[in-house]
Amino acid sequence: MPDYLAGIDIGSTMTKVVIMDNGIISSVMGPTGPEQRRLANKVMEEALRRVNLSFKEITYLVATGYGRINVPFADKQITEITCHAKGAAHFFAEARTIIDIGGQDSKAIKIQDGRPIDFVMNDKCAAGTGRYLEVTADALGIPIEKMGPTALGAKNPAQISNICTVFAEQEVVARLAEGVPLDDLVAGILESLASRISRMVNRLKVEKELVITGGGAKNVGLVTALSEKLGCTARVPPEPLLTGAVGAALLGKDMVGKALKQGLPLEKKERSLREISLY
Amino acid sequence: MAEEQKKEERKKRKTATEAASKIGGMVKAAIGGTVRAKEEGKKLAYSFIVCSYDEIIRAMDIVPVWTENYAGICGAKRDAQRFLERAESLGFSRSLCTYALCGLGFDQWREELGEMPPDAPWGGQARPDMMLSSGQILCDPRNKWYQAAQQFMPDVPIYDVGLPWPMYEDDIEVSEIQDYYIAYIVAELRGLVKFLEEQTGRNMDYDRLSDLVDLGEKTWNLIWETYELRRSVPTPMGTGDAMNTMVPMVFMLGTQEGYDFFAELNRELKEKIAKGEGVVPDEKYRLLWGGGLPSWFALTDFNYFNSKGAVFPVETTYRMIEPTYRLNIPDTDDPIERLAWRWLGYWTYWFDKAKKRPGSEPDVERLIQYIEDYQIDGVVMHEAFSCRTWHLGLIWQLNQLKKIYKPIPVLVLGAGDKKSLEHRELPSLILESDIVDISSYSEVDTRARIDAFIETLESTKKSKADQQ
Ligand code: SF4
Repeated sequence: MPDYLAGIDIGSTMTKVVIMDNGIISSVMGPTGPEQRRLANKVMEEALRRVNLSFKEITYLVATGYGRINVPFADKQITEITCHAKGAAHFFAEARTIIDIGGQDSKAIKIQDGRPIDFVMNDKCAAGTGRYLEVTADALGIPIEKMGPTALGAKNPAQISNICTVFAEQEVVARLAEGVPLDDLVAGILESLASRISRMVNRLKVEKELVITGGGAKNVGLVTALSEKLGCTARVPPEPLLTGAVGAALLGKDMVGKALKQGLPLEKKERSLREISLY
Repeated sequence: MAEEQKKEERKKRKTATEAASKIGGMVKAAIGGTVRAKEEGKKLAYSFIVCSYDEIIRAMDIVPVWTENYAGICGAKRDAQRFLERAESLGFSRSLCTYALCGLGFDQWREELGEMPPDAPWGGQARPDMMLSSGQILCDPRNKWYQAAQQFMPDVPIYDVGLPWPMYEDDIEVSEIQDYYIAYIVAELRGLVKFLEEQTGRNMDYDRLSDLVDLGEKTWNLIWETYELRRSVPTPMGTGDAMNTMVPMVFMLGTQEGYDFFAELNRELKEKIAKGEGVVPDEKYRLLWGGGLPSWFALTDFNYFNSKGAVFPVETTYRMIEPTYRLNIPDTDDPIERLAWRWLGYWTYWFDKAKKRPGSEPDVERLIQYIEDYQIDGVVMHEAFSCRTWHLGLIWQLNQLKKIYKPIPVLVLGAGDKKSLEHRELPSLILESDIVDISSYSEVDTRARIDAFIETLESTKKSKADQQ
């Protein structure tokens, strides 16, 4: 029987699960919100169902993300930093700098051979995270996933001077009322987010290859703006939201391999899926 | 009462040394002591730490009321919010130094009531007879705080002691300009003595002041020697404890009690070293607390680091001493001049080292020295949003360090000019919060950062081992 490795990434807005043998055989992304996070076991069940596996057949499960501590059925908890490093290096062997743009935080990681050697994080301020996009998209009345393609048509990106998410929202509404074209406005928003993120990333001194992960990587306009600001073309994994979960599963694989090599027992949890207690 | 005591014991943060565990009681007694001193009619002065006037006020029998300390205690007891909010409601900006905000909120409340605010932490901060500002050249709150407090205490006079030191520039020789600085500092301190003589109606006893300056210098040397014991592997004491032992260093200088405390700590550390006892049983990572005041309400974060096998054998914060033999203090019988030379010597001590490394700065040299001396694996800093003084330049310093501790093998010239390839990368972590304002803090986020940092240290260790 092959080893099935699972990774579960409980982020602030999405729960992601992957199951791997030699590659990804199943993946599910659960929706946002505290109730759904509590039901991360359901996301896991769905991922298992898709490949007709039972939870008992999973050799090792690693949890990551901000809710990782609360996953009672995970064998091991590892932070997003290490998991994103591993995941990004899996997709791009030459990866040296990673920017993960999540729903509520963003981080930059310097890696070597798939291992983190330094990182910076912004978990204090909504500006510089996916929340900034959510709020401004809402103010403009367009779906968030349309922002990237919309920005690509911009001729004269608007200047958004407010960094603070709350004030930026007001500014965007005012500029729209002034008649600034939507594509210019969206491009301006992405520019300002990219500036904010690049200021954080520059603390690490960006080296090629640059990989962008997380929900922000799905926004082509933001990836373009960041690539320009940082002076190197960013690469994006096929499903950037899954990078952490893939890294988690791969780190589990390493642990299984190491235990086997050293003839040591694997520390594992009882294989039963339970609801997560977040409180 | 027994129940309350039990509760307090349960909440007490675990320290590595016996000496550090006694500090809470010492501070409580000192604060209670100021309230009693007031009742006994002694003269009380609001004072700032690292002011160079410790021995002067002790020699005049003036009881210092350390206002930064009291704000820190309110923070540590997680009871600062009501004072911060009061200060804000008086029109002070939330982004001011939260020590100052907390103190101003407290003072206004006490003055309004004519007695201590209800349930004031550890009995409250006594009303002063005078206020001794000491802004030095970096901290504006230490100049403006007491001026603002005068709104509520218009009868309490202020003396502002401005003690400068030269800003570092690689083409300036301290020896060429030091006389000017010394003359200025001496004049400031003499002015202070005159002010205190007027306030107390007594003359300064210069023999007594000389004895206290002797004691102060002896204490500096003893602290330095004691802290250097922490170089041992495993280290017997970490920064978590040093955030306690700073109390006798900066609040009790020039007192026998302060000296005796460090004699006791010295003995305890030597004993621990002889027994091979460390802060943690299995020391995995040695970290430098490279700057920033701590979050007084979250000192258990140091214990969290310890639970991961990480220890802090050294810190730059509150290590405000150097051995006096390093400071070029000339032979003089004048205790005021000695204080001036100690002050200037302390602030310019790292200048010469910085000059030898183009592009460096004294602060960076100090970090490098500690990294080498204490066998450091990583650097942690804390940006407390409300204190610009301590936090300006931290990121720049880290960037300078990265030029030296690169994530690639570097050629290092060793003894006998032998070249060797070394892997010297040094991960760093910046924590973000505040000294007193707990609303700026998230335990979950802070610990997530610490977890990620520990994993980074681990992977760096592995990379270094793989490359050997
Ligand atoms: S040094 Fe910082 S914390 Fe201390 S008084 Fe000045 S601003 Fe406040």
